[in-house]
Amino acid sequence: MTDLTGPVAAALETSIRPSLIARGAAVRVLGVDDGVATLEVTGSPGAVLPVASRIEAQVRAAVPGITAVRIVTPGSPLAAEPPGSQPPDAPGSLAEQARRILDAEVNPAISAHRGHVVVTGANDGWVGIRLEGGCQGCSLAEVTIRQGIEPLLRARLPGLVGVADVTDHEAGTQPFFSPEKR
Amino acid sequence: MLLLVPARTYRAADFLAAAGRMGLELVVASDGALPLGGRPVVHVSPEDIEDSADRIIARAGKVEAVVAADTPMLTLAAEVAARMGLPHHPVAAVAAAGDKAVQRRLWAAARIAQPAFRLVPAAASPNAVPQAAADVGCPCVVKAVSLSASQGVLRADDPAAAAAAARRIRLVLAAAGRTGPEPLVVEEYVPGPELSIDGLLTAGALTVTAVFDKPWTPEGPTFEETLLITPSRRPAPVLAEAIDTAERAARALGLTHGPIHAELRIDERSGRPGPVMLELAARSIGGLCSRALRFGGASLEELVLAHALNRPVTPCDHDGQPSGVLMLPVPRSGVLLAVEGRAEAAATPGITGLTITIPVGQQVRPLPEGDCYLGFIFARGDTHDRVEEALRAAEARLRVVIR
Repeated sequence: MTDLTGPVAAALETSIRPSLIARGAAVRVLGVDDGVATLEVTGSPGAVLPVASRIEAQVRAAVPGITAVRIVTPGSPLAAEPPGSQPPDAPGSLAEQARRILDAEVNPAISAHRGHVVVTGANDGWVGIRLEGGCQGCSLAEVTIRQGIEPLLRARLPGLVGVADVTDHEAGTQPFFSPEKR
Repeated sequence: MLLLVPARTYRAADFLAAAGRMGLELVVASDGALPLGGRPVVHVSPEDIEDSADRIIARAGKVEAVVAADTPMLTLAAEVAARMGLPHHPVAAVAAAGDKAVQRRLWAAARIAQPAFRLVPAAASPNAVPQAAADVGCPCVVKAVSLSASQGVLRADDPAAAAAAARRIRLVLAAAGRTGPEPLVVEEYVPGPELSIDGLLTAGALTVTAVFDKPWTPEGPTFEETLLITPSRRPAPVLAEAIDTAERAARALGLTHGPIHAELRIDERSGRPGPVMLELAARSIGGLCSRALRFGGASLEELVLAHALNRPVTPCDHDGQPSGVLMLPVPRSGVLLAVEGRAEAAATPGITGLTITIPVGQQVRPLPEGDCYLGFIFARGDTHDRVEEALRAAEARLRVVIR
């Protein structure tokens, strides 16, 4: 069977690595097994997770033999959906605590902008969130996260390392504020 | 750090990410009222500078620097910085840079090379625009003075076409809510290669952060931003003269401390290539274009924030590879239904990123009425030609569905 590690590495080099570096992260190929490429990413999860599906699409388009891509982080082998290894409904978990806070204090407020936030999971102190409705694709979504949601969770959850936005903002169809070129 | 973020901007995420990487404590002010409790953001209105500045002064506490993330916040940022005694472009200079008529007048007074121009007041007779076109010579360019991103800019090949362009631009201004009696600029069309210069002014001295060539320089009737590739391939003497012209143009407007983005053409008609100033803004490059730049791992936004904090800035591109960005223009009016072929376009060798920035289902309009781009494609490569080829190939794989 053809070893696809080299072609996957080449695809990373030309199509993916530079953009991840620009976003504050790095990526390397750990191996390819039965058409499944395993990529290790380092740096900010928030820089990688929102584009994870695009990374897979790019690798699969560039290397026809690849059928799936798994993204892992160091110290959390094969955590395919970091930071979602800890389910959001595990009682007493970081994810569950974050969900309760967001449901009680954030979602009622951002519903005024037709928005909603869900916790996708938690891993190594990182809480993954996905923005929906008016927040998905909103040009001020990052402000809402960094000036509103993250400080709120930090104040309440001492074990929180950070908040990773896993939203596919490009798929948002009704952002409350749309960007424009200036 | 006080960051002023307009509601409709591409730049919020990149500035916030930069501040996060630098470990800065941010106070954010925005006209986009956030619904969260706890007042995480100071609500301001760029149309009400005095009250907004009062509100910021009352609520922001002590800050060390003020930065506007995008055009609508430039004047308010200057006002707040002036009141706080922080280094920044002066308010009057920012206002001058935001008005294409004032730019032309100040540059004329400072003998900055620029196209021949005439200003046509809103109340002028119907013959004034065609007369101005005849004065500067055709083809000419008719411009709104207060719009940006090539909105409200049209080329006209004869005086009658200039009059028609002016009528169309007046409608664009009305649709944009610019109902005041602003003049139009009618200026000579300067053929030739175009480039943009980004930099940081410190006490009026320019440190260049990036020079982009525009290999697909538009010739009109509209002037879409399309392909930008850096570093520039212009000959060193031409480049040096262009940078010197941009620096003098910025100083002529009164700009002193902060980012600038200048656009110039190289006029080759006389046989001796010389730079001609088109426009200059008191901010860094717009859209997501800054993502084409890296400075030893730092972003352009990090440089802008560091400079505002009076930290040393060394804008060398350590990897030295040619890098480019292609802005995808809106091809026609309608409702955007889909942008197909994105995975194939993103997989094009050399492509490092592809972002579609208009949501499906949104009404879109091309220039000169529109003010948005469909998205941005980024590429890096060993040579400029490979970067351009990659961007061209990626764009060809996209199918934009508008009905």
